[in-house]
Amino acid sequence: MSERILMCGNEALAEAAIIAGCDAYFGYPITPQNEITAYMSKRMPEEGRVFVQSESELAAINMVFGASATGKRTMTSSSSPGISLMQEGISYLAGAELPSVIVNVMRGGPGLGNIAPSQGDYFQATRGGGHGDYRTIALGPSTVQELVDCMPLAFDLADQYRIPVVVLADGILGQMMEPIVFNKKPRRSLPPKDWALTGAKGREQNIVRSLWLPEGSLEKHNYKLQAKYQQVQKNEVLCEQYEVDDAEIIVIAYGVAARIVRSAVKKARQEGIKAGWIRPITLWPFPTMQIAKAADELSIFLVVEMSMGQMVEDVKLAVAGKVPVVFYGRAGGGVPSVDQVLEKIKQLTIPVKKQ
Amino acid sequence: MDTEISNMADIDIAWCPGCGNFPILKILKQALTELTIEPTNLVMVSGIGQAAKISHYLKANVFNGLHGRALPAATAIKAANPALTVIAESGDGDMYGEGGNHFLHTIRRNPDITNIVHNNMVYGLTKGQASPTSQIGFKTPVQVAGVFLEPFNPLAVAIALNASFVARAFSGDAEQTKEIIKQAVKHKGYALVDIFQPCVSFNKLNTFEWFKKNSYYLNDSHDPSNRNEAFKKATENGPFPLGIFYINQDNNSFEENIGIYQENQKPLYERDLDIGKLKSLIETFIVAK
Repeated sequence: MSERILMCGNEALAEAAIIAGCDAYFGYPITPQNEITAYMSKRMPEEGRVFVQSESELAAINMVFGASATGKRTMTSSSSPGISLMQEGISYLAGAELPSVIVNVMRGGPGLGNIAPSQGDYFQATRGGGHGDYRTIALGPSTVQELVDCMPLAFDLADQYRIPVVVLADGILGQMMEPIVFNKKPRRSLPPKDWALTGAKGREQNIVRSLWLPEGSLEKHNYKLQAKYQQVQKNEVLCEQYEVDDAEIIVIAYGVAARIVRSAVKKARQEGIKAGWIRPITLWPFPTMQIAKAADELSIFLVVEMSMGQMVEDVKLAVAGKVPVVFYGRAGGGVPSVDQVLEKIKQLTIPVKKQ
Repeated sequence: MDTEISNMADIDIAWCPGCGNFPILKILKQALTELTIEPTNLVMVSGIGQAAKISHYLKANVFNGLHGRALPAATAIKAANPALTVIAESGDGDMYGEGGNHFLHTIRRNPDITNIVHNNMVYGLTKGQASPTSQIGFKTPVQVAGVFLEPFNPLAVAIALNASFVARAFSGDAEQTKEIIKQAVKHKGYALVDIFQPCVSFNKLNTFEWFKKNSYYLNDSHDPSNRNEAFKKATENGPFPLGIFYINQDNNSFEENIGIYQENQKPLYERDLDIGKLKSLIETFIVAK
C-alpha cells in the first residue's frame, strides 16, 4: 500500500501496526478507540495473526506479556482508564525487559472522566506509570500520518531496547480522518531475540521474570535498566523546530495541541511577532537539550497542553530557570483555540518589546 | 403504586428509545416503593456501562465507581453500615467480564446485598462488541465470524458457589420481575438477579421476541432449596428458565461473620471512640522501663 488514502487515526494506526509486523493484538472495548479493536478483529485473522478481545484490560496486557515473551511483535490499545489498569503489567514488562507497544487514545480524566480528547496522561506515559524505577518510551504524534509513521518506529524501538513503547494519541487524532501514505521504510537492524521463550532444545533455558531476590541483584538489575535508558535518551530524541533561531518566544506543544500552536505561531509571525515552536515527538526521551539550547537565546517560553500542566514540568527542568516558562492549558475535553493561544503569545511578547 | 418516592426530577436519561433498561428502572422503583425502602436508606452501587447508569436515574444514595468493581464497594458499604439497603447494579460486561473475579468472591463472602445484572448479551456503551454472555454465533463488528466462546453462565456459577439467592428475570415481564426483585432485596445474604434485557441498538439476535420465545418460568413444583435441581435448571441452554432457582439460608452473612456487629448493632460511623480500648491497645506497645 503506497497510494494516498483517507483513514481515521484509529484504523490507520492499526493497519500501520500490521504492516510493521504486529503478530498479536489484544484489547478490551473502551471509547474513543473501539475502531482499533474492530479493525484488528477483521485484519489480523486475514493475515494469519492473533486477535483476542479479552475479558478486561488486565487480561489484555498480560496476554501482551505472554506473547512478547515468545519473541513475537505484540500490542494492545486502550484509552486512559483502561491504560491505568494496565500499569501493573507494563511495570512487569519493563522489569522483565520485554518489548511491547501500548497505544493510549487519551480521554478526559481523572477517574472515568469523559470520552472527550485530552492530554492528561503525559505524566503516566513519561514517568513509567506503574511502580518501580523504570521508563517507557513515549511517542506523541500530531497528525494521522505521523501516527502511522510512529507505529513501525514503536515496534523497532521496543525490539531494539527491549522496552515497552507507549504511543500517546488522543480522542481527536483517533477519530479524525486524514490522507495518509503507508511508508515502507527500511527497518532498523535489530538484535536477535535470543532471550525469547522458543523452546530450550540444544541451549540453556530462557527465563522471563521481574523478581530479583538475592541481595544486591535487584539493584544491579536497576543499574542495567538505567544504562539502557541513558542510551535511549542519547540516541532517540525526536522533535520538530520552527523559526527558533530569531524567536523571542517559543511555544512548546505536542500531539493535537501542537497543530493549534502551529496555526497560532504562523499568525503571530504574520503580525510581526517573532514566535517559533518546538514540538517534542518523543515525549520520553524528552528533547531537553534542544529546549535548553533555545533557552540561551530567547526571552520566554509558552507551553500549551490539553491538560492542567504536565509537560510544562519537563520544559522547566530543561530551561533550568534561565527564562520564564508560562503555561496555558485546558482539561477535561477542553481544546485550546488558535485565537486563545495567539492572545497568550501577544500578552507575553508585548511587555517584552517595551523593555 | 405511585413511585414518587423514587422519582428524580428533570433528568436526562441517556438510553436509546426502546431500551430494556427503561422497564427495569420502572420495575425497580416499584419494587422499592412497595418494600417502603426510603431513598435515604438506599445505596445504589454501580460500575460502568449502559446498565450502570441506572444509579443516576432514581432517588438514592449513589456510588458510581470503577468498571467491574461495584461488588467490592457494595460489600464495604454494607459492612460499614448494615442498616442500609445496598443494591449493586450493572450489566453483564461489567459484572461478569471486567468484574468476574469480584463476582466469584462476593458470592463466597456473602454480604447482605442485592446484585442486579442487566443481561443483554452485548456491550452497549462501547457500541456492540460481544460480552461474556453473548451466544455462540452472535456476529458483531469485532466478532465478525461470530462468537465462538462458551457463554458465561452466571446462575450455574452462583449455584456452584452455594450462593444464598439466585434468580433470573425478564425485563419484558414487569409483574414477575418486580416480585423477584422484592424477594431478592428482602433476602438476607447475597442475592443475584440476572435480568434478560433486549438491546435494541446492538443486539439484533437476542431481541424482545427472542427472549420471550426462549424463556419460561420455573413451575411451582420447583424447590429452591434443592441445589442439584437448581444447578440442573441453570444449565438449561434454551429455552431458559426464569424465576427463583436457588435459596440457601444456611450461611451467615459477611456482616455477621466479621464479628463487629454481634454485641453492638451500631453502624461503624455512629460509634464513639472507645478510649479505654485504645489505651489498652497503646499499652501493649509500651516497653516497660
